[in-house]
Amino acid sequence: MAVQGVGEPAALPAPPLAGRPAPRVRRPAHQSRRGRSGFAMTAPFLGLFSVFFVGPLIYSIVLSLRSPLTGNYAGLLNYRATFSNGGYWSAVVRMAYFGLVQVTAMIVLAIGLALLLDSPYCRGRRLFSLVYFLPFAVPGVIAALMWGFLLEPDLDVLLKVPHFLGLANGAVQPLDYRLSLYSIMLIVTWEWTGYNMTILLTSLTNVPRQVLEAAKVDGASELAVAARIKLPMIRRTVVFIAILSIIGTLQLFNEPVILNEVASIGNSLTPNQIIYNTAFAFGNEQAAAAQSVVLALITIVATAAFYGIVRRRVNPLASTRVGR
Amino acid sequence: MTVPSPPPLAPAPGAYRTRLAKRTKTTVTTAFLVLAAAYVLIPIYWLVIASSKNTSQLFSTNTFLPPSHPSWWPANFSSLFTYESGDYKWWLLNSFIYSSVTATLATAVSTLCGYGLAKYNFAGRRAVFGLVLGSLMVPATALVVPLFLLEHYMGLTNSYQGVILPLAVYPFGVYFMAIYVADAVPDTIIESARIDGSGELRALWQIARPMLAPGMATLFLLSFIGTWNNYFLPLVLLGTETRFPLTVGLSAWASTLNEAGAGQPLYSNVILGSLISVLPMLVLFPFLQKYVARGLSFGAVTGE
Repeated sequence: MAVQGVGEPAALPAPPLAGRPAPRVRRPAHQSRRGRSGFAMTAPFLGLFSVFFVGPLIYSIVLSLRSPLTGNYAGLLNYRATFSNGGYWSAVVRMAYFGLVQVTAMIVLAIGLALLLDSPYCRGRRLFSLVYFLPFAVPGVIAALMWGFLLEPDLDVLLKVPHFLGLANGAVQPLDYRLSLYSIMLIVTWEWTGYNMTILLTSLTNVPRQVLEAAKVDGASELAVAARIKLPMIRRTVVFIAILSIIGTLQLFNEPVILNEVASIGNSLTPNQIIYNTAFAFGNEQAAAAQSVVLALITIVATAAFYGIVRRRVNPLASTRVGR
Repeated sequence: MTVPSPPPLAPAPGAYRTRLAKRTKTTVTTAFLVLAAAYVLIPIYWLVIASSKNTSQLFSTNTFLPPSHPSWWPANFSSLFTYESGDYKWWLLNSFIYSSVTATLATAVSTLCGYGLAKYNFAGRRAVFGLVLGSLMVPATALVVPLFLLEHYMGLTNSYQGVILPLAVYPFGVYFMAIYVADAVPDTIIESARIDGSGELRALWQIARPMLAPGMATLFLLSFIGTWNNYFLPLVLLGTETRFPLTVGLSAWASTLNEAGAGQPLYSNVILGSLISVLPMLVLFPFLQKYVARGLSFGAVTGE
C-alpha cells in the first residue's frame, strides 16, 4: 500500500482464465465433491478479504454518511463539505499537474532506457538493468530521507555550485516552497523509473525476433526499428505503466510527509495527507471517510478517462499482442 | 574528395566507416546509461558515506567524500542502538516479523485460492474471480483510514495481527497464482494423483507445489518487499514505539530533527538507521531480481 503498491497492477486486462472453462469432471457426484474442495480452497482468502477489504470499504461508505457531531445519519453532508473544501481540491489539482509533468517525464525516461538496453549498442545490459531496478528495494520513506538530506544546502555542497559559478544568489534551495513539488518529482522518478523500465524491458524481449530481423534485412536503421516496430509493439505496456503511475500519483503520501519532517514543506500537499490530517489531527472520521471515498472515485474516473483517451488515440488493444 | 585508393586486402572504407559509426553509437549509448546509473547510485553512495560521519562531520566535511576518521564504530552504531532505550532494534525485528509473516501468509492464502480457481469448477467461481479483479481497481491507500476505524472498533489497532492480516489480503497474488497454476500444472497430473488415491490437498501439496515453487517465490518476495517498504498502513494502525516497523520509527525520529536541542545525535542515527534498513535487500537483490521482475511484468504482458 505504498505509493504504487508493490506489484499490484491496479488496472488489469481481463484474465485469459475468466473465459476459459474449468476442467470438466465426468462424474457428477465427484464434481460436486470436488467443487466443494475447490470452493474450500478459496475460503481463507475470501474470509480475510471480507473482513479487511470489503469491511473497510463498506464501513467507509456508512461512516461517510454520518454526522461528525452527532454520529447520526446525515445524508450527503460530508460529501458537500468535501466538494466545498478548497484545500482538498487544490491538492487534487496539484496531483494532476504532478502527474502531467512527472509521469510523462518518467515514462519517457523509462522507455528511452529500455530501448537503449534493448539496442545492439548496449554493453553491460544485465548490470545496468540491475542498477536501475535497485530503488525498488528501497522504501519510499528511506528514499525521501536520503534525498531530503541531499537537497538540503547545509548538507550538500553541490547545491552551492551555481552560486560559485555566479548563476545564483546563494545556494539553491530545492526544498523551498516554490520548488518542493519538483523535489518530490525528482524523488518519485528516482524510485519508479527502474520499476517501469523493467516492465518495459520484459515486454521488449517478447517482441518476436523474426520481425526485427526482417526489418534489418529491409535495411531499416536501429532508430527506425525502435520507433516504428518496438515502440508500437509495447504500446499496451506503456498504457499499463501509465495507469499504474496515475494511480500512484493520486495516492502520494510517504514522500511529502517525510520531506515535511526534514524541511517543513507543508503538511497538506496531497489528498492523502489531507485525509490523514482530517482523521487524526482534527478527529473528523466521518469527513475523512467521505474524502477517502471521493479520492477512490477520482482515481477510478482519472484512470478510465486516461484509458478512454489513449484508446481512441492509439488504439492499444488493436496493436499486436505481445507475449504469451 | 581525394580518397586514396585502398591498399589491397584492407577492408573497404564503407566497412570502416560502419564500424566507426557503430563504436560512436555504442559510446553515446553507454554515456546515457552511465548518467542514468549515476542518478540511481549517487544517493545510495551518499548514504554509505554519510553513515560514517557524526553530526558535526556531516555539516563540515565534503558531502561525497569519506571523513578522515569514520565514526561508524562504536560511536554511530552504539548511538543508533541505544538512543531512546534502544527502540531501533525493535523496529528492525518488527520489520522482519511483519514482512516474513505477511509474506508467508499471503503466499499460502493466495496460492490456495489461485489453485482452487484454476483447477475446480464450482458455483460462484466466476464471482470470486470478478471480486479479485474488481478489488485491484480500488486504490489501496483509500482504505487505510477506514481500516483503522474498523480495527479500532474490533480492538485490533496497535497489534501485530492488525498490521499483518490486512496486508496478507493480496488480490494481485490470487490473480497471479490462478494464471500461474493454469499454465504450470497439467490437469492430467492431478488426475493421476487422484487415481492413486491422494486427496485434493495432498495433490496440491505433493504434486503441484514443486511445480509452483518459482511462482510462489515471486509472490513471497513481492509481498515481503511491499510490507517492508510500507509506511502509511503501520503509521495509521500503530501507536506504541516498540511495535513500529523501521519506516515508521525512522520517520518519527526524522520529525524531531529540527526541534531545538533534539538534533544532535539524531542526524547520524537517522542516516545509519536508513542504511541498515535497506542494506539486506540491496545485497540480496542481484539474486532476487529475476523473481521480482517476473511478478511485475506479469500484468503487463498477459491477457487481452
